[in-house]
Amino acid sequence: MSTETENEHEPLASDTQQVVVPEQYRKSAVPPAMKTIIELKGVTKTFVRGKEPLTVLDGLTLDVHEGAFEALMGPSGSGKSTLLNLIAGLDRPTSGSAKVAGNDLSTMSDGDLARFRSRHIGFIFQAYNLMPVLTALENVELPLLLTKLGSADRKKRAQTALRVVGLEDRMGHYPRQLSGGQEQRVAIARAIVNDPTIIVADEPTGDLDRKAADDILTLLTKLNQEFKKTILMVTHDPAAADRATATRHLNKGKLE
Amino acid sequence: MSGLFLIAARNLGRNWLRTILTVLGAAVALIAFVMLRTVLSSWEVGAEYAAKDRLGTRHKVSFIMQLPKRYIDDIRNVPGVKQATWANWFGGKDPGKPNEFFATLAVDAPSFLPVMDELVLDEESKTRWLGDKKGAIVGDVLAKKLHLKVGDKYILQGSIYPGDWEFQIDGIYTAARKSLDRSQFLFHWQYMNDLLPEARRDTIGWVMTRVDDPSKSADISAKVDKIFDERDTQTVTMSERNMQLSFMAMFGAILTVLDIVSIIILVIMLMILGNTIAMGVRERTREYAVLRAIGFLPWHIRFFVLGEAVVLGIIAGAVGVGIAYPFVNGLMGKAIEENMSAWFPYFRVEPQVAIAAGVIAVVLATTAALIPAIQAGRISVTDALRRVG
Ligand SMILES: Nc1ncnc2c1ncn2[C@@H]1O[C@H](COP(=O)(O)OP(=O)(O)O)[C@@H](O)[C@H]1O
Ligand SMILES: [Mg+2]
Repeated sequence: MSTETENEHEPLASDTQQVVVPEQYRKSAVPPAMKTIIELKGVTKTFVRGKEPLTVLDGLTLDVHEGAFEALMGPSGSGKSTLLNLIAGLDRPTSGSAKVAGNDLSTMSDGDLARFRSRHIGFIFQAYNLMPVLTALENVELPLLLTKLGSADRKKRAQTALRVVGLEDRMGHYPRQLSGGQEQRVAIARAIVNDPTIIVADEPTGDLDRKAADDILTLLTKLNQEFKKTILMVTHDPAAADRATATRHLNKGKLE
Repeated sequence: MSGLFLIAARNLGRNWLRTILTVLGAAVALIAFVMLRTVLSSWEVGAEYAAKDRLGTRHKVSFIMQLPKRYIDDIRNVPGVKQATWANWFGGKDPGKPNEFFATLAVDAPSFLPVMDELVLDEESKTRWLGDKKGAIVGDVLAKKLHLKVGDKYILQGSIYPGDWEFQIDGIYTAARKSLDRSQFLFHWQYMNDLLPEARRDTIGWVMTRVDDPSKSADISAKVDKIFDERDTQTVTMSERNMQLSFMAMFGAILTVLDIVSIIILVIMLMILGNTIAMGVRERTREYAVLRAIGFLPWHIRFFVLGEAVVLGIIAGAVGVGIAYPFVNGLMGKAIEENMSAWFPYFRVEPQVAIAAGVIAVVLATTAALIPAIQAGRISVTDALRRVG
């Protein structure tokens, strides 16, 4: 993992309304976002369940530039989640190469993949997937338990992340005390607290009403524009796809 | 690490009802375990605290058959024997309380007290008793139960020696060793002997002997029995410890059963804990998958499962021992010592048993969590995330 990009663990921001973007996140500090951060070549994914092998991805190629906000659409069962999982290092391609943030995922061990995810990937799920026994703040703190940060630093960073998503007044609430939109915002705070290189979101607005969905999309846009996060979002919702800077369609195992 | 442990412990709060029921189930099992172990350890108190320099001599055929009184003189003459005394099982009952059982013994007080030196009696009472033909002494536990005090008149109804026998309470003894029954009723053998019909006089139940060198007790026992080999009544002599052990051996099967039951209880406890932990893990598969997605490693997940089990074990152990200890020592032990003191002169939880029970709770909980922990570490992250629910 020598080629990975350096990630400073700096607080994201201190204020929701007037987000003060730290120096390193400002546009001027980043070279024109043309670096390729996701590079898939001839990726095939075949599942074998029972006798019939099922080829879900079939020689797929994909380049995503750093700082992009891309939507991934396609019929149900077309392999969107499978593709997202490959990029996020949750699974390995059956063949082909997958390079993400400088790491060749197809050759990495399970342990290295886990460290890669912890360092580079922020996950947002359709079902929020918060731990019900932990408060919002503790949920956001979770990924930081894998870092060397002390508990005071962890708490400060988690608070900052919750402020970014506008939930500074809900830190001590448990998931069941929050609305769906708020839960998803906690999940987003959890996804960004580690300052990941890429955020992957699998139908993040799928369970939300229009208003809450729009808030989440606005938040994602903010993360993309102000914090320069590369975002890959699977969605069924054309309105959601409109908010992305590019949309790709997955069909028959290939991108169109 | 502490953060991880905290999360593991937090998971117990997810389903309070289940956690409480599990803790109670495990605690009840632990209480039963502590009780059984206390029965077993208390049962062995007699052998454990048996005087090492004391021998007992009885009729070769049976404990209930009598020896001629003159045997005592032969025994006293055996080299190595320091003191010897005798006693008869009287089998008396309180006529007003025929269901109360306590040991009633006719003893030779002047030689009995020095041989049974764990019996503590103040000088005043001793002098009074030795000078009082109809005098008797009782253990403090029995005195309390029958509301007896020094100076009281007391009537015993004899079964082996029929009739109503009148006594005066001259003293109340206590015990310097746990093995001494504090519910005995002791009176003068001479008083009984004098009132017996001619044919039943001058027989004794058994002889207790002190030797100067405990390491020679086997040798001395053999010598004693040798004397009576050629006479019409033969004897068996053994150390008090061996006597206790042979008495206990009669109940060996029951003890083995108790022993096994105490182990079965632990197995049940293992299953209670294992069930709860496995259920929790199954329900949380998706959460574990999310943690894995975030970057947690399989050992972290195993740590969560085991950590939760350890906390569960500690709570169950604390509750179980916390209830068992005062219950057995305060309530049950007292009642048993009062009512069954011939069997259990001392019925208390040994500290080792209490500590062991606490440790066992934690070890069992951890053991119960091993397989669920291994499985939780092995889950397929993508499969678990795909599953809706
Ligand atoms: N682990 C797996 N084992 C077997 N089949 C799978 C597995 N993961 C996905 N699939 C199959 O691959 C296809 C694509 O699944 P998925 O990527 O979840 O689709 P989408 O997210 O586009 O709805 C589906 O037919 C699904 O059943
Ligand atoms: Mg999907």
